[in-house]
Amino acid sequence: MTPTELPADNAPAASSRTASIEFSGSKSAFTKLWLVNLLLSIITLGIYSAWAKVRNNQYLYGHTQIEGHRFQYLAKPLQILRGRIIAVVFFVAYGFISSLNPALGGLMALLLLLLMPWLIVQGLKFTLRNSAYRGVRFSFEGTYGGVFVHFLLLPIVGVVTLYLAMPWVVQRIQKYTYENATYGGKPFTLNTSAGEYYKAVLLCLGIGIAAIVVFSILMSVFGIAAVLSSASEPGYGGQMSQGAAISFIIGYLFTIICFMFISYLISAVYQGMIRNHIFNNLSAEDIFKTHSDVKLMPFTGLMITNALIVLFTLGLGYPVTRIRKQKFLAAATTVTLEPAIDHLVNTVDETHSAFGEEAAGLFDVDLSLT
Amino acid sequence: MNDQHSVTGLYQAGNSSHSTPARAMVTERQVVIYQQQGGQPVMSAVHGDYRFSEAIAGLPVDLIFADNSRFIPDDAGYRWKHLSKSQTITEWLETHWSAVLVAAVFLPFFLWFMVAVVIPASSNVVAESLPQVVADELGQQSLTIIDAAYMEPSELAASEQENIRQRWHDILQRLNIPPDTYSLQFRRWNHGANAMALADGTVIVTDSIARLMKDNPQQLDAVLLHEIGHVEHKHSLKILTQSTVTSLLFAMMFGDVEGMGEIMLGAGTGLAQASFSRDMERDADQFAFQELQSLGRSPQDFADAMRALEASHPLRIAAGQSDCTQDCDNNSTEPGFFDYLSSHPATEERIRAAEALAEKQKMQQ
Repeated sequence: MTPTELPADNAPAASSRTASIEFSGSKSAFTKLWLVNLLLSIITLGIYSAWAKVRNNQYLYGHTQIEGHRFQYLAKPLQILRGRIIAVVFFVAYGFISSLNPALGGLMALLLLLLMPWLIVQGLKFTLRNSAYRGVRFSFEGTYGGVFVHFLLLPIVGVVTLYLAMPWVVQRIQKYTYENATYGGKPFTLNTSAGEYYKAVLLCLGIGIAAIVVFSILMSVFGIAAVLSSASEPGYGGQMSQGAAISFIIGYLFTIICFMFISYLISAVYQGMIRNHIFNNLSAEDIFKTHSDVKLMPFTGLMITNALIVLFTLGLGYPVTRIRKQKFLAAATTVTLEPAIDHLVNTVDETHSAFGEEAAGLFDVDLSLT
Repeated sequence: MNDQHSVTGLYQAGNSSHSTPARAMVTERQVVIYQQQGGQPVMSAVHGDYRFSEAIAGLPVDLIFADNSRFIPDDAGYRWKHLSKSQTITEWLETHWSAVLVAAVFLPFFLWFMVAVVIPASSNVVAESLPQVVADELGQQSLTIIDAAYMEPSELAASEQENIRQRWHDILQRLNIPPDTYSLQFRRWNHGANAMALADGTVIVTDSIARLMKDNPQQLDAVLLHEIGHVEHKHSLKILTQSTVTSLLFAMMFGDVEGMGEIMLGAGTGLAQASFSRDMERDADQFAFQELQSLGRSPQDFADAMRALEASHPLRIAAGQSDCTQDCDNNSTEPGFFDYLSSHPATEERIRAAEALAEKQKMQQ
């Protein structure tokens, strides 16, 4: 009784079909799951965090469905724990050596830099190979050389050109990353253009300048008002009057809030535009093609409110923000599926080291394809 | 038997994207999967020969067979009778606010215990077992950094240096400390009278403190004893291991937590470090008091030295002589670098401790 005996079921359609992405995660359920796992991780001094990671991911993946099939996160906690332990040992040795002997630490940092492409490859491999849809796993076929060129050399080009080439560099990096992902052994194609990245950056630049102009006008009006009001108060010689001190503090807070607001605004606009561009040009031959219609205004609103939630809950509101974002992005995405998706064969086996991903995480090279 | 029941769902092939609507018949002995259309059996396994996927809120628990094929129940809330205890408990915990609440109440105590007890104790053990090479390396490193970035060569007259050096050797001799394990250095520093100890036994005296205590050399002795106390207690090494252990532990506990890790990491480390360095100052003070007494001097010397130092720093006078808690605490402790004046909460408290002891000593005589 092997699965190959399964008859041609479900009468798969002969032509392509369009499907939406359903996300059924709930804020309260995910909050409970996330918090309990966080607390268990803390009281086990982090050992449980490997299980926590798997369970959090399983929740988010499992609640994402296309055509009634759930995504699956298949990583084994013990695999992650092992990778994490190796990474921690390495991290401690690095920390200790570099504080004892900066020269030796510098040498280690250089070695680490050379190791980085390998860590990135391993990390992406681990994540993608443990992601599956309809029993078929994703994978990553990037190489050390390719990652070295795209992730280490191209950013240098970006900096040398005074960031003028940076949008192009980012476009090349993302194209490389996506195009080396596979599903059921079939490679992805990403037809993005650098022009769209420049457009997004220019728009963000425009918004940023406009926002700063508006802010400066507000500030000068506010400042004049403050000066007038403090002038009317009797001040002690040389000391700031109470009114002036208060308006100074308010002005200071106002400045911080405005700049945070502007930076979230810009990053949301950029993320939304690039997300649309990527997901409107991503496909795997004969299997699927994605479409994304992220509306910038609501997306910006979502990102700013999410930032406020994280800020005012000291990070504990993270699960709520995660569900909100996931729901929003799922609703903005559709997939065109080709008949071949019903006949894919799994080409990936499950054994793969988690060290790359863990080490990459510890040394701050976080990457993901979402 | 009458114990058997059936569950509808989807049968998903193990090595391809094939799937078919199916029904799982569970009997006492085994589970058999029948295809919905036509009713053919497509898989069977006795209990124990298949495993369950994780039980997670709102998601179905799949049966996973040896060939990686799966039976996925249609009802996401359906839970199999044979599910293991640990899986059921985990899911229960994850779906009840009461569990969150209990853990949330317990957590602050746990964190306090880690920061206040476990981290200092374990870093002390590590620091004590580190070989001398580590201390030497660390001390030399710090001195290089201090010379390059903070201090200039001393401008004290050779005779003045010689006077202090003479007293320094006397102290070491009377404490039975081999003089070659310690080294006294003179430096000019723009931020006033100060003395500091490095991990390898290097003690730095700034020109200003030497001049400040020129006429009261017994005060400088008290300060030097305090610095020797830091070295004898291996405080620099403890600071190093403690910050390593703290960041390691916090990275382990919170490293995986998106959004919150950084905040907790920063707060926890800062908190632990502040209380830790206060304890170290107290230990070094105690060392100085004790050795002053065993040298036949009075802890009053230490109190006088503190007063003189406090008076020599104009900012401190502005902040009020009685109590300086916030203003003194600028926490500029570099790794392996013991600043005499910063990171001390209540200078007044330390002076009082010294004077109380001096009083007691006088009474006993």
